[in-house]
Formats: sequence, structure tokens, C-alpha cells
Amino acid sequence: MTEPIKTEVAKTEAAKADLVNLKWNGVDIQAEKGSNLLKAALDNGIEVAHYCYHAGLSIAGVCRMCMVEQDGNPRAFPSCNATCGEGMVIRNDTPKIKAAVEATLQFHLLNHPLDCPVCDQAGECGLQDYYMKHGVYDSQMIDKKVHKPKVQDIGKNVMLDAERCILCSRCARFTEEVTHTHELGILNRGDHAEITVNEELKNDYAQNLVDICPVGALTSKDFRFKQRVWFLKDVHTTCIGCETGCSVKVSQNKNGAYRVKPVYDHDVNGHWMCDDGRNIYKHVSSPTRLSSASENINGLFVPVDELSIQSKVKGLKPKYILSTGLTVEEYAQFFSSLKGSKVEVGLYTLPNLGADFDGILKRGDKNANLRGAKAAFAAAGFDSTQEGLDKILNSLSSNDVVYVVIPEILYNEDHFNTLIKKTEKAGMKLALTPGETLSTLRTFNYLLPVPSFLEKNGNIINHQGLSRPLRAGLNYGETSKDISYYGKWVNV
Amino acid sequence: MKNTANNKDYALLSYHHIPGVHNIDIFERAGGYETMKECFNKEPEAIKEEVKLSGLRGRGGAGFATGVKWGFFTKDRNAKKYLLCNADESEPGTFKDRYLVEKNPHILIEGMIISAWALATQKGYIYIRGEFYQQAMILERAIKEAYAKGYLGKNILGKGFDFDLYVHRGAGAYICGEETGMISSLEGKKGQPKLKPPFPAIKGYRGLPTMVNNVESLAAIPWIMRHGAAAYKQWGTEKSPGTKLFSISGDVNKPGVIEVPLSTSLKDIIEIHCGGMRNGNKLKAVIPGGSSAPIFNAEDSYIVKMDYEDVAAKGSMLGSGAIIVLDETRNMGDVLKWTLEFYHHESCGQCTPCREGTGWLESVFKRREKGQAHKSDIDLLDKTASSMRGQTICALADAAAMPTQGMIKVFREELETYVSASTKK
Repeated sequence: MTEPIKTEVAKTEAAKADLVNLKWNGVDIQAEKGSNLLKAALDNGIEVAHYCYHAGLSIAGVCRMCMVEQDGNPRAFPSCNATCGEGMVIRNDTPKIKAAVEATLQFHLLNHPLDCPVCDQAGECGLQDYYMKHGVYDSQMIDKKVHKPKVQDIGKNVMLDAERCILCSRCARFTEEVTHTHELGILNRGDHAEITVNEELKNDYAQNLVDICPVGALTSKDFRFKQRVWFLKDVHTTCIGCETGCSVKVSQNKNGAYRVKPVYDHDVNGHWMCDDGRNIYKHVSSPTRLSSASENINGLFVPVDELSIQSKVKGLKPKYILSTGLTVEEYAQFFSSLKGSKVEVGLYTLPNLGADFDGILKRGDKNANLRGAKAAFAAAGFDSTQEGLDKILNSLSSNDVVYVVIPEILYNEDHFNTLIKKTEKAGMKLALTPGETLSTLRTFNYLLPVPSFLEKNGNIINHQGLSRPLRAGLNYGETSKDISYYGKWVNV
Repeated sequence: MKNTANNKDYALLSYHHIPGVHNIDIFERAGGYETMKECFNKEPEAIKEEVKLSGLRGRGGAGFATGVKWGFFTKDRNAKKYLLCNADESEPGTFKDRYLVEKNPHILIEGMIISAWALATQKGYIYIRGEFYQQAMILERAIKEAYAKGYLGKNILGKGFDFDLYVHRGAGAYICGEETGMISSLEGKKGQPKLKPPFPAIKGYRGLPTMVNNVESLAAIPWIMRHGAAAYKQWGTEKSPGTKLFSISGDVNKPGVIEVPLSTSLKDIIEIHCGGMRNGNKLKAVIPGGSSAPIFNAEDSYIVKMDYEDVAAKGSMLGSGAIIVLDETRNMGDVLKWTLEFYHHESCGQCTPCREGTGWLESVFKRREKGQAHKSDIDLLDKTASSMRGQTICALADAAAMPTQGMIKVFREELETYVSASTKK
């Protein structure tokens, strides 16, 4: 597995000459010379309260939570705006700093509505977390709080509650620095300052705003009021939405998956992911998803025993059309089960959608594991090209049984339908589908459920040739995690 | 003792008695721009050294030595850089720069040209407070005159030195008087101070080195260059040399702007230069350095000497030299209320302690109007103010917290009565 660790190691070794030694609260830490002081602490596992600092954005220095003291410097300063130097002695556990952090937290909460019971951020909110760690004071605020607009739909499934906002400016900086679309800004002065929507969100990365908001000011319309975060478990996996292969975590519980968030991956996606990737989990726990082997009886799919299907396909010549969504391990297992048999195999690749690359993360090529598929085809001596696929399609006859692996996410159903049409000549048609039961599948004789990306362990290769893992989360329905599934039908 | 204010031999208002001195010809006849011409024959480093030797301290309020600040500036003469004159005089009680430029705009322009030559800045801006419309027009006219004489523009006096000067009017935000807030505003952004470091001398306007100096500091340069640092040091103390403009407002017979040597006693300023207390009333308190300076009671006011170190030793600050005199008829609760209203209104809203704190401080007084304030609120004021101090990007939070704490220290009882007198029982 070529994990990102490999490149990270190479990098650290190159930079080792520039490492400096610091002391933070008496703990010796090392960091790259001139790198961000707050980041150095966070990277070394030291907890420093902060709201406005984000490693993927510029420095604002406005929340005033990460204040530190340095030996020989009479003034406390924010660590987010300082750089690491040799021999620095930094403390943020002195009585002075502790009192300052507590006071600043109190200022943060002064006009905050404290509507945690109905707030979706509850459980992962910076205000809650730091109040328990650094605050726990008795509020002295008895005046009327400043009111600002609530429940604003600002587009792209993002909701804004200006009262909950602590004006850390992360969101405004994101639209300025990452997407360059400038939809958000801060209007007015003093305690009447609020996030303003210059125009409705139009960028394809809007859900990141929800992630970077340290409080409940920006929430996802898709996730709102669906689930409490403390009932969810994150599974670290990889997005299968396009060939970029962003590292993501999928929050799930026994009832299904609820949301997808990016995980920092230095080599692939950095801190972000696109909005399309936020939807990749939806088919997994969809009620229309195929849960057991089914037989097509006059257009109605009725659950059927797999053994009876096996008896029907016996004697027919198997031909496979694979999708590009299998893992490297699944391809390997599949091709190894072909040994000795005369099976024809083709590869269906999804057509490009939109621009080849949008300059940030999103790519037009939606085949998550195209590299892995091509390598596996080549290694086994099969043709993975469109010509190869056409040859199989043109040679189909009533003696053939064609197995079509349905792509997990079908962006363009029409394109796929033309493929299905070409399989009409086959004597028997079986679809192996990890996703929902589509109307186009009516032409198949049998449908077989296969695991979705959230139900299998394995690796996929992204456009850079980097291997990224898919990890099985909680099990859904009747689908199996057995990767021999695809090859099982070869020697029936 | 004699009234020695506005002496003709002093540095800043020495031309002010000449009628029509805002006109370049009259200014030149009185000796204006001569120093500038001399300075073009001097090494820029020598000018910087002379300013450093003079011990001139920045007159904007912080009192940081101008020569030292110049020392941080890049010495690469070809690098693109800016000279920015801070004329955004908005501290309540301060009106010295306004008086200086409206009578004699050329002394500032001369000072800026000399400074530009010393610092090798190719462009200069005078960022003037938006409300000073008249003064901005006066400066515009004076700049036009200086261009016509060839003192500004390309290849000044054949020295191969270019300097363009522009007037930029602010839009009325107090915080744009803070140097990085001013730079943000000049860049066309929201007037919000920037994080330091980097300091403007390294990375300022448009990300290039920028020297920001107060009007009064720049206007003192021609005198220092003509008469030398030693002559400048005849006035004031070792640490606060020179003369200073004071803008006196409040309950005195003759409020206004005066120029006196630093270290002149506040008693002399009130009794001699300002003609004593109005209506013969008793002095109650003095705010010595603009609304952000902690207040002095009558006793301290009569013994303090107006220089940076003595005012600081007595727990306040000289600031911009705005002396607000309050007599016995004034209620300290009202004074603090108005001060806090101002800072609440002017907080830019960037840093949390200031954004929320300034509003919270004022809220105590709002509560009083509803009859809901209590004596204990004064402790709350004190505590809130103390947690705002030293926590923010710029000094606005401190500017609100310092007078609050100062007022509580000196007039606690009066404030307690003030907030609780109207409490509904």
C-alpha cells in the first residue's frame, strides 16, 4: 500500500536540517523553522484553544484564544501569528493566560444565543468544548443580547444563523482564498458585525463552510435535525465520486450513513472536498437499494434463491462487463478466479462530466479506480479499452450469459442505457449492483446485490497513482463483504 | 508667570501669526521651504540621524521615537515604498493637527518632502479625517502650489528625486487613525487594523514598506533640520524633548490649541495659558491625553508635568495631548457613559474581546436608564475592562478599558451613586 506516509517521511527527512527545538508548557517539541507556532503545538498533540486559525486559510488573529507567553517577552501574543524559532520557551498554562482565555471565552459567549438543545453543532461545537475545558464560569451577562438574522438559506444546502456566529471569519476567508468566489463577507462594526451574503453561494465547495465553522452558525441543510453527532461513528475512507479520491470520513450509525466530511490528506485533497462528494453515501442506506438476489418476473423483481439462479445460468458462456468501481483486491480476486476458464471480460468506463479539472479538486473523470482497473486488466491479459468492450457486446448471442457490474454512482444514465441496449442479444442477463434499483435494470433477468464502497475493505488508485483505502463501516442489509463475490459465478 | 504659549521661536506654530501663511509665497517669504532646499544637499542618512538625535517622539499618541521608527525602514532607496501622514485625528478631545494644517499646510508638506528625501519614498499620502473637509481642501490647494513650484513631482529641484503627494479623505471611522487600520482603509478595504508583525515599516500599504507618521511629528522635522537636534532638546526633558501642541477643551476660559515645551505643568496650562477655570469654578478632574487616557483628580492635575514620563508615572498617558478640563459641575458618570458610547460605536468588531467588551461596558449605563443598574455593576465594569486589556490586535480595547478603570479608581463612589441612584426599588 503506497500510503501518504511515504511522501511525508521523505519530506520530513529533507526538512530535518531546518528543525528547531521549542519548549511548550515545559514539553520539548520540534518544528520546522519559521513554521506556524500554533500549528507546531497542535501537530505535537498540545491542546491550544482556537477558533479563527485554520491550517488551510490565512491568519486572521481575531478570536484571541490562542494567546501565549514567551520567556523574555512581557506581552502575551497570539500563537497563530508567530513563527517557530530555536529555543523558544512558550507557555499557555500560566495563570495570566488562563484568565485571559476564560475572559475571552466569556466575550465569545456574551451575545451567543445558547440554543444548544436545538443546534446541530452541539457535540462538536468549539464553544461547548472550550467552555468545559477553559470556562465554567457563572455568566454575568444580564442584558438583552444583540439579535441578528437567523435561519438564512444562503444557497448550496448551507444555512446561516448570524446570532450563533462568533465572527472568526473562516468562512469569509474560505470564499476569498480557496474558491475565489467572494460570496461571504462581514458587514457592520462592533457587536453588530455579522456575516453577510453578498450573493447566494455558487461555488462547488460550499459544504466545507459548514465543516470549518467552529460553531453552529453554518449548518448543512442535508444534515440538519437528522441525527445527534454523539450517536455517530466516523469511518475513514475514500470518496468514490471522481478520480481525485479525496480522503473522507463517513458518519454512520446502525440506521445508516448521515454525512461525508473531508479528512486532511496532504497529497490528495488537503483540507477540502467538493459538494458532489458529500452525496456519495446516499444510495447505501436508500430504501430502494437492492437487498437480496431478485428475479425479474414480468418487470417485477421478486426475491429469489441464488442457487436457483445458478441452475439457470449453467451451461451458458459467461461474459463480464465490469465497472471501474471495484477495489484493487476485488479485481485481483476476480481475475484469479478466471484462471483456466474462457471468460470474456470488458470494462465499462463512465463518460467525462464537466471540466477535466476545476482547479481545486473536482475532476471530470468520474471513474474512481480507473488506474486500478486498467492495471488489473493488463496484468491478467484482458483488454480494458472501449474497443475491447465493443467486441464483447457485438459478439453476444443467445448462448451467452452477460454479467454487468453496475457503477455505484451513475452520473449519466443515458450513456449507461446505450450499453444496456447492446446487451439485449445475450441469452441471460445478470446485473450486479451496489446501488439503487434503477428503472433501466428492468431488462435484466436477475439482479444480485454487491457491497457498496462502505461495505468493503480494499484500496483504490487515484489519478495521481496513489493508493487510498476504502474501509467497511457498519454493515447494511444483506450484502456481503466477501470480495470473491464477482468471480463466484465464473465456474458455475 | 508669563504666558509663553505659541512663542514665535517654537517649532510648530512659529508661522501661525503671519496672515495668509497658507499661501506658498507668504510662507516662503517667512523662510518656509528653505530647510527643504538645504536638506536636498544633505545625505539622507544624516537627516535620519539628526531626527534620531532630536529625540522627537511620535505625536499621534503612542510616543514612539520617530527616529527609531525610521531606523526600521528599508534603506534600499530604489525599493518602492510609501510615506503616510496620519491626519485622521479622531480621538475625542484632540484637534491640534486640524489647527496646524488649516493655518499652515505648507509646514506639513515641507516636513513630508524632507522625510520623503530621507526615507526615499516615492509616494506620499495624507490620510485626513473625513470630517475635516475644509482642511482637506486647504491641503489640496497647498499641494497644488508646491507642485507648481517644483517641490513635488518628478525630479524635484533637479535632484533626480521623485515624490508625489496625495490627500485621501477618510470616511469617519475612529479606527482608521490606527496606522494599520488606516492602511486597510487606504487600500480600499474595510477599515480594520492588521495583525502585527509584520509592521507597516516592513509590509504596509499594498504590502510594501510604509512609514506612517503623525501630522505633528512630520511638521516638526523642518524646524529640527534647520536648528539642529541640540536646539530642539533645549525644551522638555531628556526623554520628552521638544515642544508639543496641546488641544484644551472643557471648562476653562480660553480653550484652544497651544504650543508649549513638553514638561510644562498642567497647572500653568490651565491657569496661565488657558486663563483659568470658567466662572471661577473649582477644578474637579482632567483627562490629560484624549478620551482614552485615565483621568486625574484635581490634586494630581495640579502637580503633573505634561511630558510622557511624568504623566505615565501618575497613571495616565500623554497620548495626543488632548486636555479635557472638567469642573465641579460635571458628573463623572456622564463622562464615562459618553466615553464608552463612543468606543462601543467605533469598535471595528474584529477581535472578540473588543467587539463584545465595548458593548458590554456600555450596557451597564443603558441598564441604568431603565433603572436596573446596581452598585455592584461598577465591579463588573472594572473586571470586564481589565479582561479586555492587552488582548486585541490594536489598542482600541485598551482605549476603552483604560479610562474605565481609571475613572473607577478615582471616582468609584460617585459612579456607584450614579448607577444606583435611579435603581427601581
